[in-house]
Amino acid sequence: MSGMAQEDGSSSISSSPLHLFSLMSLSPGIGSPYPWLREMESEERGLYLIHLLVACANHVAAGSIENANIGLEQINHLASADGDTMQRIAAYFTEALANRMLKGWPGLYKAINSTRITSVSDEMLVKRLFFDLCPFLRLSYIITNQAILESMEGEKMVHIIDLCSSEPAQWINLLQSLRSRPEGPPHLRITGIHQQKEVLEQMALRLNEEAEKLDIPFQFNPIVSRLDNLDIKCLRYKSGEALAISSVLQLHTLLAFDDEMAKKSPASKRVLHMNSQTLGDFLKKDVTSAFSPSPDSTSSSPFSLANSAKMMNFLNALWTLSPKLMVVTEQESNHNKFSLMDRVIEALIFYAALFDCLESTVPRASLERQKVEKMLFGEEIKNIIACEGIERRVRHEKLEKWVPRLELAGFGRVPLSYNGMLLATRLLQNYGYDGYKMKEENGCLVICWHNQPLFSISAWKFTRYS
Amino acid sequence: MTTELDNTSAVNESTVSGEASISSLGNQTAAPPEKPVKRKRNLAGMPDPDAEVIALSPKTLMATNRFVCEICNKGFQRDQNLQLHRRGHNLPWKLKQRTSKEIRKRVYVCPEPSCVHHDPSRALGDLTGIKKHFCRKHGEKKWKCDQCSKKYAVQSDWKAHLKICGTREYKCDCGTLFSRRDSFITHRAFCDALAVESAKGQAEDEPSKKDEDPKPLLIESAPQSTSTASPPPPPPPASLPPPPPTTTTPAVPVTSSVLCIAKTPDLPEISKSNNDSRPVLENPSQLVAGLTGSSSGSCSSTNTGSTSSSVFASLFASSTASKTLQPQPQPQTTGYKDLIRSMTQPTQTPDLTLPSSAQETISLCLSTNQGSSIFRTAGQELRQYAPPPQPTMSATALLQKAAQMGASASGASLLRGYGLDAGQRDDTDGGASIGLGLGVGYDGRSGLEELMMGTPSVYGPKHTTLDFLGLGMAAGGGTTNGLSALMTSIGGSLDVTAAVSSFGRGGRAGSGEFTGKDMGTQ
Repeated sequence: MSGMAQEDGSSSISSSPLHLFSLMSLSPGIGSPYPWLREMESEERGLYLIHLLVACANHVAAGSIENANIGLEQINHLASADGDTMQRIAAYFTEALANRMLKGWPGLYKAINSTRITSVSDEMLVKRLFFDLCPFLRLSYIITNQAILESMEGEKMVHIIDLCSSEPAQWINLLQSLRSRPEGPPHLRITGIHQQKEVLEQMALRLNEEAEKLDIPFQFNPIVSRLDNLDIKCLRYKSGEALAISSVLQLHTLLAFDDEMAKKSPASKRVLHMNSQTLGDFLKKDVTSAFSPSPDSTSSSPFSLANSAKMMNFLNALWTLSPKLMVVTEQESNHNKFSLMDRVIEALIFYAALFDCLESTVPRASLERQKVEKMLFGEEIKNIIACEGIERRVRHEKLEKWVPRLELAGFGRVPLSYNGMLLATRLLQNYGYDGYKMKEENGCLVICWHNQPLFSISAWKFTRYS
Repeated sequence: MTTELDNTSAVNESTVSGEASISSLGNQTAAPPEKPVKRKRNLAGMPDPDAEVIALSPKTLMATNRFVCEICNKGFQRDQNLQLHRRGHNLPWKLKQRTSKEIRKRVYVCPEPSCVHHDPSRALGDLTGIKKHFCRKHGEKKWKCDQCSKKYAVQSDWKAHLKICGTREYKCDCGTLFSRRDSFITHRAFCDALAVESAKGQAEDEPSKKDEDPKPLLIESAPQSTSTASPPPPPPPASLPPPPPTTTTPAVPVTSSVLCIAKTPDLPEISKSNNDSRPVLENPSQLVAGLTGSSSGSCSSTNTGSTSSSVFASLFASSTASKTLQPQPQPQTTGYKDLIRSMTQPTQTPDLTLPSSAQETISLCLSTNQGSSIFRTAGQELRQYAPPPQPTMSATALLQKAAQMGASASGASLLRGYGLDAGQRDDTDGGASIGLGLGVGYDGRSGLEELMMGTPSVYGPKHTTLDFLGLGMAAGGGTTNGLSALMTSIGGSLDVTAAVSSFGRGGRAGSGEFTGKDMGTQ
C-alpha cells in the first residue's frame, strides 16, 4: 500500500496516518517517508532544498541547535550524494553545517574524527581527478605558461617557483612549449613546493624524464614545506636568473589567521607590519573601522589588512626575490566573510556552479565525480562553513581584494596577453567544453561558468617604488 | 664527362667509399672552383651517371665550416676565406695550387640509411639541397609558425610559410579552412559525398545496430537535447531495459565518432545513471541528424583543430598513461563510416568546432577516466543540440530562481508552497489543521522569520513556533550585509503554482496525514 501511495500519488489513498508513520521508520536510504516528497520534481525539490539549507544555516548561525537539528533532518530526506546537483550540494552543505554544530562539543567532534584516515595517495588522486574532470586547472596552466613564455622571451636562464607543485602536466606543457622556442630552450630550473615528499618525488621523476626527452637543460628542486612557514632562503635565489612564480589556488591559504589573537592585539601593532609608504594611506582611511566587531573583509581597513599579516609577509618575501613574473590563479568568490550566513550564501552560489560543471560533463554514477565532490569540494565547503580561525584555510577572495593586496606588496600588474585568452578559448572549444566562458577584466582573465565567475587569473611583476 | 675515374656504372663503390672516408674525417677536400664551366643540369631524379657520389656524415652535412685548411684544420664557411687563410701558411708554390683542376660533378647521398636518397642512384645533385632534405626529413623541427603552429626544420621553409600563412584561405561549407586550392577542391568533393551518402541509407544502418532493442541506445542518452517538444510524461527509468554492453557497441561508435571516443561499457551507465527519465524518440533520424551536424563539423574542423591540439596535447596526455586508449582509433573509423551512412544531411550546429582531428589527440585527452570522458563526449553531444528545456535545472539556475521568487511572492504562499495549500484544496482536514497551527502571527512578516517559522512548524510540534519568533529575530539580526536580502528572498515563498501542482498531484495523501504523523513522531 505504501508502494501505491508513492507511485500513484492518486487520491485513492487509504493509508492511515499510522501507515505513513510506519513509512517514517524506514531507513532514510530506502526513501523519503513522505511520498509526495519523492514525487517532487527536481526543480521544486531543489528550491525546497535551498530554502531548507538557508533556514538551517540561520539556525546554526544563531546557535539554536534544536532547530538546526530538525532542519538537518528535513534536508536529509531530500539530499543525497548521488542525486541531482542540488541534492548533492545540499548533502555537503549539511555535512558542513553538522560539523560546525558538532564543534560546539569539542570532545564529541574530536572523537568522531579521530579515526579518519588521510592518505596521501587519495589526496593526490582527487587532485588529479579535478584536473581531469574540469577544465579549470588546464586553463590556468595554459594561461600561466603562456604568460611565462612571453615574459621569458629571450631569457637564457629561467627559474620558476611553483607554490603548489602537484601536477606535472603544467610544467610538461611548458617544457614542450619551450622546446619550440625560436631561440631554443633556456636553462630551466623549477622549484616545487609541497607539503608531501611523495608528491614532489613524483613531480621530479616526471619532469626530469620529460626534460631529458626534449633535451632541455633542467633542474627540479623540491622543497617540502607549508607555504606559511616557507623559508625564502630555501629557494636558493640566484641572480641572473629570470624568476617566475606560479601560484595556483594557493595564496588564499595564507589568509588564515587566528581570530582570537587578532582581536586581542591592537590593530596599531599590526600596522607596523605594513610598508611605511602605505602607512599614510592607512591613516587617511577610517581608523575607527579597525575596531569594528565584525569587519567585512570587503573594506580595506587596517584591521582586515593587518589580519593578513602572514599574507603580506609572504608577499613581501616574494617581492624581495624580484620576480619578473608572478601568475596568480584564485577562486573568484568571497568565502572569507566574517559572518557565517554570508559565507554560506556565497559558497552556495559558487559551489552550485562548480557542481553544475561536473554535472554537465560527468555522469551521475561516476565514482570519480563523487570523489571530487566529496573529497575536494566537500572538504572545502566544510572548511569554509565549519572552521574558524587558523583552521579555516579555505579563504577564497575575489580579484578585487587581491589586486590591492598585491599592489600593496609592491607588485605591478602585467596584463595577460590576448594570446593566452585565445589559447584558453581554443582549448575550451577543441575539447568541447560547453558553457564555460573566458572573460577579460582589466588585464586579468576570469573563467566563468555561464556568467558565474569561478576562477581568476592575474599576472604581476616586481616593481620598484618610485 | 670525366674519364679519369672509372665511372662506367652509376654506382662506383670504391669511389663512394673513398670519398666517404675522406669526408668522414669531417673535412671536405677543397672543391675546385666551378665557375668557369657552365654546369650541366641533370634531369631531375636521375643523377649524372658519371658523377662522383659523395656521402657525407650527418655531422659534416650540417657543419657550417665546410672548407677546412689542410694544414691546420681550421674550418671556414666560405672558400674564399679559406684561401685567404692558406696564404698565411707560406706554402711552397706547388702546394699553392689546388689539388685538381677538374670539374667533377658531385652528387650527394643522404646519410640516413632508411631514407630513399641514401641509395646512390637516388642521390641529389646539390649540396644545399641535400642539406635541406636532411633537415626536413630527418631533422628536428626548430622553427614554428606562430599562427598555425606548424613546425619546420629548415629556416627558409619556415620563412616561406610565414609569408603565406593565413593569406589565402578557402573555406568549405562545413567550416574547414584550406590554404591550397587543390586540397580544398578534393575535400569539398569528399564532403559533399558524405552529405549525400548520409541522406540515403540511414535505414541500412539500423539492422546492423541493434540486437534486441529496436531503438538505438543512443537515443536514450541523448534525448534531452533532441527534445524539440517538451518531453512527454516519462516512463520510470527502471522500465528502460538496461541494455547489455553488446547492444551498445553499434551505438557507441556513433557517439564516439562524433567525438572520436569509444568506450563501450560506459554507455549503459550513462543511460541508466541519468535519473531523469526521458522520452524515447520515435524518429532516430532526427537524433542522428544532430549527430551529423556535429560530426561533420568535427571532421571538417580537422585542420583548425589540429593546430592547437599540439599545445594542449601535453596537458591532456600527461595524465596517467592509459594505454587502453590506443586500440580505439580503429573502431572509431568504422563506426564513423556507419554514422556517415546513417546521417541525414548536415543541418544545424555549424558553430561546433569539436575536433575529430588528430584522433590521437582526442584519445590523449581521454587520459584517465574513461567513464568521465565518455560521458563528457556524450554530454557534449547532448549539448550540441539547441538548448533544450533541461529536465533538471542546474543548481545555479535554481538559486537564481529562488532569489527571484522570494522577492515576489507574499508570505502566506510560503506555507502553501509546502503542500498545505494542496491540503486545503483537497478540502481535507489536514491542511486546515496545519494552517491553523502555523497561522499564528504569520502574515506580513519578513521572509526571514517565515523561514524560521515555516519550515520547522510544518514538521515540528506547534509549540516551537513561539520559540522561533524569538529566535527568528536573533538570527535575522545576525546577518549584516546585502546578501541577507537573498536569504530573505529565499525565505519568501516558493513558487506557488509549481509547488502546489506537484504537491497536489502527489501530496494529497501526505499533506492530509501530516499532523497525524507529526503527532505520531513527537
